[in-house]
Amino acid sequence: MDTILFGQLSAAALVTGALYALTAVGLNLLYGTMRLLNVAHGDLVMIGAYVAFWAFSLLALSPLVSLLGAAALAALFGAALYYGLLRRMFDGSRAARRLEANSLLLFFGISVIVQNAAALQFSATPRAFQYLDEVYRFGNVAITGNRIAAFAIAVLLCFGILAFLRFHVVGLAIKALIQRRDAAAIVGVNIERVQLLTVCLGFATAAVAGSLVSMTEQISPFMGFPFTIAAFVVIILGGLGNVTGGIAAAFLLGALETFGVALTSSAYRSILIYGVFVLILIVRPQGLLGGRRIAQ
Amino acid sequence: MRPNATAAALACLGIAAAALPLVAGDYFIGVGLSLLMYVALTQSWTVLSGLTGYVSLGHVVFYGLGGYVAALCWGELPLAAIVPLAGLAALALAVLIGLPVLRVRGPYFVILTFGVAELAKHLVIAIEGQLGRFSRVLFAAPGLETLFYILLALAAAATALTAVVRASRFGRGLLALRENEEAAETVGIPTVRFKLLAFGLSALIPGMVGSVMVLRSTYFEPQQLFDPVISFSIVTMAVVGGSDDVKGPLLGAAGFVLLSELLWASAPQIYMILLGLLLVVFVVFMPDGLARRLFPQRHGGPA
Repeated sequence: MDTILFGQLSAAALVTGALYALTAVGLNLLYGTMRLLNVAHGDLVMIGAYVAFWAFSLLALSPLVSLLGAAALAALFGAALYYGLLRRMFDGSRAARRLEANSLLLFFGISVIVQNAAALQFSATPRAFQYLDEVYRFGNVAITGNRIAAFAIAVLLCFGILAFLRFHVVGLAIKALIQRRDAAAIVGVNIERVQLLTVCLGFATAAVAGSLVSMTEQISPFMGFPFTIAAFVVIILGGLGNVTGGIAAAFLLGALETFGVALTSSAYRSILIYGVFVLILIVRPQGLLGGRRIAQ
Repeated sequence: MRPNATAAALACLGIAAAALPLVAGDYFIGVGLSLLMYVALTQSWTVLSGLTGYVSLGHVVFYGLGGYVAALCWGELPLAAIVPLAGLAALALAVLIGLPVLRVRGPYFVILTFGVAELAKHLVIAIEGQLGRFSRVLFAAPGLETLFYILLALAAAATALTAVVRASRFGRGLLALRENEEAAETVGIPTVRFKLLAFGLSALIPGMVGSVMVLRSTYFEPQQLFDPVISFSIVTMAVVGGSDDVKGPLLGAAGFVLLSELLWASAPQIYMILLGLLLVVFVVFMPDGLARRLFPQRHGGPA
C-alpha cells in the first residue's frame, strides 16, 4: 500500500473510531451500571442525526449547535423510559434474574418502534446535507472540515467522560455502581439517581454522535442498526463495563473496518463487521482488552 | 385427561385447516399459508428457546438456508426430495455452529444468534454476487394447495414435536438446564449433547418451511429469505402467546398473522410499531404470555 493511501485511510479510520467510541460509551455505561443490553442504542444515533438534519434544513442551525438539542431530547427520552419501563424491570427477584435477556427484548421492541415511527414520519428515503465540506490538506492527506469537527468533538467528549468518571463525585458513583453495586448502596450512593443520570448521559452521548455522523454521511430511519452492532463489538472487545478499554477498542474497530474494506471491497463491509462480532463473542466474551470478566 | 383434551382440540383444528382449500379462495389459502408458516416456526423455536431458555434471535438463518437449498435444487430434484434436504441442511448447520455458539450463555447467546443470522445473510449475498446472481426465479413452482398441505403437515409435525419433547425425559433435562445449568450438569444431565440436540431439532422444520415458502414466492432473494423481521416475529409471537406449552405459539401466531393481514399491505410501519409495542408490554408486564392468562388452571400441576 503506498503512503498517500495509507495516510488517507488512517485519517478515515481515526474519524470512524472516534465516532464509534462516542457511540459505545453510553452503551457501556448502561450495561455496566444496570446490566441493560440496549439494542436500541443505534436508534439514538439516528434520532440525533435527524435532529441535526431538520435543525439545519428548517432553521439553518449548525449541527454543532443543534447537537445540544439532540442531547437534551435523547436525555429526556431516556428519563421517560427509565421512569416508565426500566425501573419496573428491577422489581421482583424473578424479573431481576432474567434482567439481561428481558432488557434485550424490551429494547429490541423499542428499536422497532423508534425506527418505524421515524420511517412513518420522515419517510424511509435517505437524506443528507452539506455543512463544512471544504477540503483541508495536511501533507498528502485530504480531509473535509466536517470530519475534523466530528473527530475533535467526539474525542473531546470521550475524554470529558473519562475525566468525569475519574474526578467528579457523580462520575465516581457511576464507577462504584459498575464495580460493586451492593457496596455502592451501603456507602450511601443514591442508586436511583445515579442510574437515571447514567441513562440520560448514555442516551445523550449517542444522540450527539448521531448529530456528528449526519454531517459526514447519508441518514435514514434504519441507519442505527450498524451503529448498534459496532457499539456492541466495541464494548465486548474492550471489556464490558470498561470505559477506557471501550474507547481503545473503538479505534481498533475503526482501523479494522477502514483498512479491511480498502483491502477487499465495500461489498464485504457487513461480513467483516458481523464476522468480528460473532468471532469475538465466541472466542473471548470477556473482551480482548478487559482482563476480569464482569459479565455473568 | 387434560392433555388428551388439548390433543383432541388440536386434531379438530388440524382437520378444519385441512378443509380450508376446499371451501376458500386463494386469498384465504394465502393467509393460511403464513399462519401455518409461523405456527411451524414458532413451535420449533420453543423446542430450543422455550425449554432451555437459550433465546434465539436468529432463527431465520435456518429458514433462509432451507430456502436457498430449495432455490439451488429446484428443477434438478423433485419436491419430495427438496423439502427433506432443506430440513437436513438446516439441521447440519445447527449442529455445525451449535458447538461454539451454545457455549455462550444468556444475553450473549441472544445477540450472537442475531449476529450469526446477519453474517449468513451477507455471506449468501456475497456468494450470489460473485456468481452474478442477484435473485433466482423459480419456474413452474407447485400450486398453492400443494404447498398448503405440506405446510399443514410441517405445522402439525412441529406442534407434535414440541409436545413430545416437552413430555420426554429429554425435555425435562432441558427444563432443568434452563433453571440451573451447573446443577443440571452435576446431577448427570449431558448438557452439551442435550443443547445441541435441541438446537438441531429446532432448526429442522424451519429449514423445510423455508424451502416451501421460497417456492410460494417463486423467486429467491437473500434479503427477503434472511429477513431479520422473521426472527423478530417468531420471538414476539412466542413471548406474547407464551412458550410454556403448545397453545402459546398457536395463539401468538394466529394473533399476529391476523394483525399483519389487516395492516401489512396498507400500513407496514404501523404493523411493525404494534409488534414492537406488544413485545415491550409483554416483556415488562406479562412475561409469561397470553396462554397463561387465558388458561391459568392448566398450570397448577407439573406442566
